[in-house]
Amino acid sequence: MDGGLPKKPIGLASFRAKFILVVGGAVLFDLLVSGGLALWNVQRLSRDATLEVGQGLEAASQEYIRTYADSTAAQVNLLLKQVHNDVDTLAGVLQAQIDNPVRNSDVGAAIARTSPDSVSLSYDEKGKWSQNAPGSASVVSVWGYLLGQDHQPKPDIERDIQTSAVLDLVAPSLLQHGASKLQMYYIGPRERPIFRTAPYTDQAQTFDRLYPGHNEADFWNFFFPGLYESWQGWAKDAKTRPVADDITQTAPYTDAITGKLIVSFFHPLWTADRQDVAGTAGADITLDQLAETVENVKVAQSGFGFLAMSDGNVVAINSTGEKTLGLRAASGASGTGVTGLERSLKGSSQPAIAQLALDREQGIQHLLLQRDGDEVPYILTVKKLPATNLWSSGPVRQEAMLLGLVVPEREIDASLYAAQAKISEATNRIVIYQIIAILMSLLIVAIAVFAASKRITSGISALAGAAKRIQAQDYSVRVAITSKDEVGAAGEAFNRMAEQISYHTENLEQLVEERTAQIEDQKEEISALNAQLERENRRLGTELAVAERIQLMVLPLQQELEEFQDIEIAAYMRPAEEVGGDYYDVLKNGRRLKIGIGDVTGHGLESGVLMLMVQSVARALQEAGNTDAVKFLANLNSALFKNIVRTKIDKHLTLAFLDYDGKELILSGQHEEVVIIRSNGEIQRIDTMDLGIPIGLEADISAFIKTREIAFEKGDLILLHTDGVTEAENDAGELFGIERLCSEALRLKGQSADKVVSGIVATLMRFIGSQKIYDDITLLAVRHR
Amino acid sequence: MEISDENFRVWAEKNEVFFDGVFRLAGPDAYAPIYSLISGLLHEGHKQVTFNLTGLEFLNSSGINLLAKLTIEARKMGDLLLVVKGTNQHPWQAKSLPNLKKLHPLLDLRLA
Repeated sequence: MDGGLPKKPIGLASFRAKFILVVGGAVLFDLLVSGGLALWNVQRLSRDATLEVGQGLEAASQEYIRTYADSTAAQVNLLLKQVHNDVDTLAGVLQAQIDNPVRNSDVGAAIARTSPDSVSLSYDEKGKWSQNAPGSASVVSVWGYLLGQDHQPKPDIERDIQTSAVLDLVAPSLLQHGASKLQMYYIGPRERPIFRTAPYTDQAQTFDRLYPGHNEADFWNFFFPGLYESWQGWAKDAKTRPVADDITQTAPYTDAITGKLIVSFFHPLWTADRQDVAGTAGADITLDQLAETVENVKVAQSGFGFLAMSDGNVVAINSTGEKTLGLRAASGASGTGVTGLERSLKGSSQPAIAQLALDREQGIQHLLLQRDGDEVPYILTVKKLPATNLWSSGPVRQEAMLLGLVVPEREIDASLYAAQAKISEATNRIVIYQIIAILMSLLIVAIAVFAASKRITSGISALAGAAKRIQAQDYSVRVAITSKDEVGAAGEAFNRMAEQISYHTENLEQLVEERTAQIEDQKEEISALNAQLERENRRLGTELAVAERIQLMVLPLQQELEEFQDIEIAAYMRPAEEVGGDYYDVLKNGRRLKIGIGDVTGHGLESGVLMLMVQSVARALQEAGNTDAVKFLANLNSALFKNIVRTKIDKHLTLAFLDYDGKELILSGQHEEVVIIRSNGEIQRIDTMDLGIPIGLEADISAFIKTREIAFEKGDLILLHTDGVTEAENDAGELFGIERLCSEALRLKGQSADKVVSGIVATLMRFIGSQKIYDDITLLAVRHR
Repeated sequence: MEISDENFRVWAEKNEVFFDGVFRLAGPDAYAPIYSLISGLLHEGHKQVTFNLTGLEFLNSSGINLLAKLTIEARKMGDLLLVVKGTNQHPWQAKSLPNLKKLHPLLDLRLA
């Protein structure tokens, strides 16, 4: 469209750049505002969601941990309860035997008969104790101090060996069912503390190895100092039991038989009268069983549980937990009794653990634990298990074990972190998508605006480019009209102008030549006209000069005017700038006097000639003795008319005559008013309109001519004038008028005709001042002496 | 059709010719265009032609000659009624226009 227009980069000042800036700016603003709002809202949504999810997950996590702790505690309780039940069952059987001595001895005798291995003991020389041989359901050990000189158990001991064999009937099935137990056993009363245990083990041998010297010592005092006395106290007063239950649990210790860490559960047996202790039923469980339950706790990845005594001694924990809690095991050093295990929370290397308040439950606690030099946040919850009677050393006391759950916050919050990460990721994704969308929109809008701007502004830019080329004098440029809008209209107008400029420019030389030629022609024409004008002027000048000469030539001489005895005649004539056709004459023939005054229309030579003709014809008629005033004028008109037709002089004249024969004064012909100033000062104005008609208009005017006799006495003054007098204008455009003429004549009436004329003329000239004199001025004064 | 100068104006409306202003033209030649204009109107076949001179303040003798010739022209066309409207406000009209009536007795001279 723009043909040869060079492609130009879009300047910042160009219309298109401005258009792009305005539209692009508006779109950018809109996108940034909407995009910014969207981003802000997404961020806020993300923040709120993170907060909500965080709170929800934290609550859920804590609830989960609490529930987990409850459930684990319930498991532990269940395990303990089962053991309790088994011990209770065993104790119930044994107690029933004690309470029924006859049946007890019968059952014992029956078992001795059917299972002699269970009651047949052999003395061990080395250990100095007696024990049944393997093969029985249970092992029964009789310590040396309970044997006689013959190494045979004393009779009451022997009876107990037999009656305790009832264990063989009950314990194996109890061991097989219910809670998993290491062993179940019967220990006799203080005076005969035989030790029957199911299943069969090298019981006494193991005792010898682990607890040297026990064989000579009082069993109860050696192994469980204070326990027996506590039970005896209970027998006297059941209310002294720390917990309303007969079952007494020991602190963890190393099992003398299996060498495993175990916990024993005793159920004391009572004498039939319930006044004293009659031994005990017991069951051992390995700590592994408790620990398994606790150690199986798995919260998150590295969460763990622990079971601790109320003093902080941890009885069950896995190795990770042990390490995490900074527990240090101190091996039992006591030479007597069961070997304990000391692994207290209070001795933890973690200050936060060492300072834990263990006497009450505190729900969820947040702790910072050292791990590899860093402080790592953990969640801890501690739950107290139901209280039980515990023997550790000395009297039995109440004990409530503690179940603890420890979870790294990071792990329990892992889902929270994961959710937060997901939200953050989603937010980031949305933000990125949003930014990409904004950028894409901007790109699309930019392209669209760029393209649209090209369409919209191309017309204007084409116009501007074309205008610049015109400025650079390239007039061949045209713009393509692509739209029907104002730009299109401007383009059309531009093309028309360009075409005209082009045409004028291309044809300029030709035009100049043509114009020069025209000017030359005109110059010649003007020269010719000038010459013609000059000639004309000369001719007119000559003509005027001739006319003036004729006019002045035919006027009567001064002496002709002065030769009358009884009348004075004075005359003044001043031709206008261009000589007119005023006529006056004084013709004398004998005593007859004819005074004529006339005015030929127009001026110039023709007027002069016409006037000359009038003068000549009048003279001729006068000379021919024509005394009839009417006939005189009619003939004069007839002659003039014919001459006017012949000469084609398109003029006529007003003409009036005064005929005076010394007595009568006759006025004839049509002309200006005749003014008569009587000697008595009376002014008489005589209209001549009815006395004739202009000469030269009609062939015969005799019908129109009339005469009028005017009295003319001594002292009377008659004024004849042409319209040059009355129609003379002053500077204000006022006419001199007949009244002024009359009053002037009146003022001068006593004076001579000459003085009258010169006086009136002087006034007239003053009146005219610098105003142009349009017409010939002729004034005649005729005065009767 | 109109002829005008800074001082005068002559124009025709249908069958009426208006004269306005001050006429001081030099002679018959100068009046010739006006004569042609009005003479043409007279020959257009109107039953009546009016010369409206009420606006004519002044007419020199050559102008009166023009009116006289036009009157004679009209008189020659027997069936044409020539009406001349004049005014007594301008003295020359009362003085000169009756001559037209003399030249053409059927002329309707209305001096108001």
